[in-house]
Amino acid sequence: MLKIRCDLVQKILVTSIRDSIHKNGFKNAIIGVSGGLDSAVVLALCRKALGARHTFALLLPYRVSSPASLDHGKMVCAKFKVPYEVIDISPAVDAYFDRFPAENRLQIGNKCARERMSVLYDFSVRKKALVVGTSNKSEILVGYSTQFGDAAAAFLPIGDLYKTQVFELARHLDIPEAIVAKMPSADLWPGQTDEGEIGITYKDLDIILHLMIDRRWDEGEIVERGYPLPLIRRINKMIVNSQFKRTMPPVVKLHARTVGIDFRYLRDWNK
Amino acid sequence: MKVRAIQFSPALGNIEKNMEFHTAKITQAIRDGRELIVFPELSISGYHLKDIASDIALKKDGRQWREFEKLSKKIDIIIGAPLEEDAGIIYNTALYFSKGKWRHTHRKVQLPNYGMFEERMIFKPGDEFRTFKIGTMTTGILICREILFPMLAYLYFIQKTDLLIGISNSPQRGIGKDGISSFQLWENMGYVFSQFYQQNYLFVNRVGFEDGIGFGGGSFFARAGQGICQKAKVVDEDVLDAEIRPADVRRARLSSNYLRDEQPQLVLKELQRILHA
Repeated sequence: MLKIRCDLVQKILVTSIRDSIHKNGFKNAIIGVSGGLDSAVVLALCRKALGARHTFALLLPYRVSSPASLDHGKMVCAKFKVPYEVIDISPAVDAYFDRFPAENRLQIGNKCARERMSVLYDFSVRKKALVVGTSNKSEILVGYSTQFGDAAAAFLPIGDLYKTQVFELARHLDIPEAIVAKMPSADLWPGQTDEGEIGITYKDLDIILHLMIDRRWDEGEIVERGYPLPLIRRINKMIVNSQFKRTMPPVVKLHARTVGIDFRYLRDWNK
Repeated sequence: MKVRAIQFSPALGNIEKNMEFHTAKITQAIRDGRELIVFPELSISGYHLKDIASDIALKKDGRQWREFEKLSKKIDIIIGAPLEEDAGIIYNTALYFSKGKWRHTHRKVQLPNYGMFEERMIFKPGDEFRTFKIGTMTTGILICREILFPMLAYLYFIQKTDLLIGISNSPQRGIGKDGISSFQLWENMGYVFSQFYQQNYLFVNRVGFEDGIGFGGGSFFARAGQGICQKAKVVDEDVLDAEIRPADVRRARLSSNYLRDEQPQLVLKELQRILHA
């Protein structure tokens, strides 16, 4: 059901990356490479779109990040011959929490995501590059991201591909097997997996999301396909509750034309 | 007739840049001996106009027309443009220039207004499907979503059209294992227009991206009675040159004459009965 024609998807995404970078007056892309699947795919696509000279990776480990993540990040950069730097974000993150101790580990995870965003945007100036995001459609829809953290980017080339489709594209792009084969993880704390935290496999989540969003099936039709009603409702609730992450902050309307409401221009305006 | 279709990516809202592109392509086509050049829907402005439309819509007395009229002394030209015909009233139009004059305007009737489309918020719909002559060929124009309503092409068919031109800004969507489903829509209609309306059919779609929405290209020429015989690339910019022969329309009709056997009066009578039932 979710199979894609990878050669065509690759062509569209590579063309769109080139378009987004060049149209905005840039030549270079910068990507936060985590060692996971999504950033490896985006790195490979940027490399194809812009060449190795115009693609740059930052590896941004925190002290509790899995050492394998760093190894895999270096592996994918080596595979696609993309230059990278490793910047340990632990001193910056720990300095903050030493002064204001964290109440839970999610708070640390979010702080790490935003610290990485902050470093990426600073390096985007140093490298004269646009930050290319790595969010996929599954996580965007259920809100499995940190607002203004990993969700922050100039554009999101794989944001309309479900995670299972990112796997398919990764194989087409010849992403190293060690990265494709491992369990997806935000690596916010040791042993964390996406599927463990979201509470459903990507295979099932993606089918339910696809039926719900793209095909507009109602919950009765999805139940008939064999998925339990409480699960469908839980996913629906995740989508509704995370809508704030997918929109710009609302502006309170006072004037005749208001930014974000009826001052209506695309970002590509006059480009 | 030697025809050239230009599959390209207009800059959104940048009339000056797009005018330069049009002029360069028209000049090149004249040098290459082409007789008709066709640009996609809203080629002069880009597609997702939103509030840009009222900022940049072309006026009937605008300076651009003089440039196109001048160029049309040496080649026939069809462009797509937002046209403010009366103050504050904008149409999504296809414009035909020939022999130094602006000779025909088609105002888009079917304005998509769902999902990512919001043309009804911008444009007033047109209300007619009139043919015009390109050389000896009776010609009709459809704009994008109009192509997907076979009864609109039928209106041209019963006006004995030799050449049907469809200009489009079709966003690519519906990825699956067989590719992009939206690509197939246009080719299916091309097959119908060629085989059953027995017209030469030129489909000209744009490419490029506007805020992540990509336009698929895949422009093509379908010869009367023979189906699609030439295709441009998908996704990438391209130029498609075709040779259109009015004789192919006659040949197609002689093999199985749908136009002779068509009964528009019967269709009209039945429509009246159905609509007034």
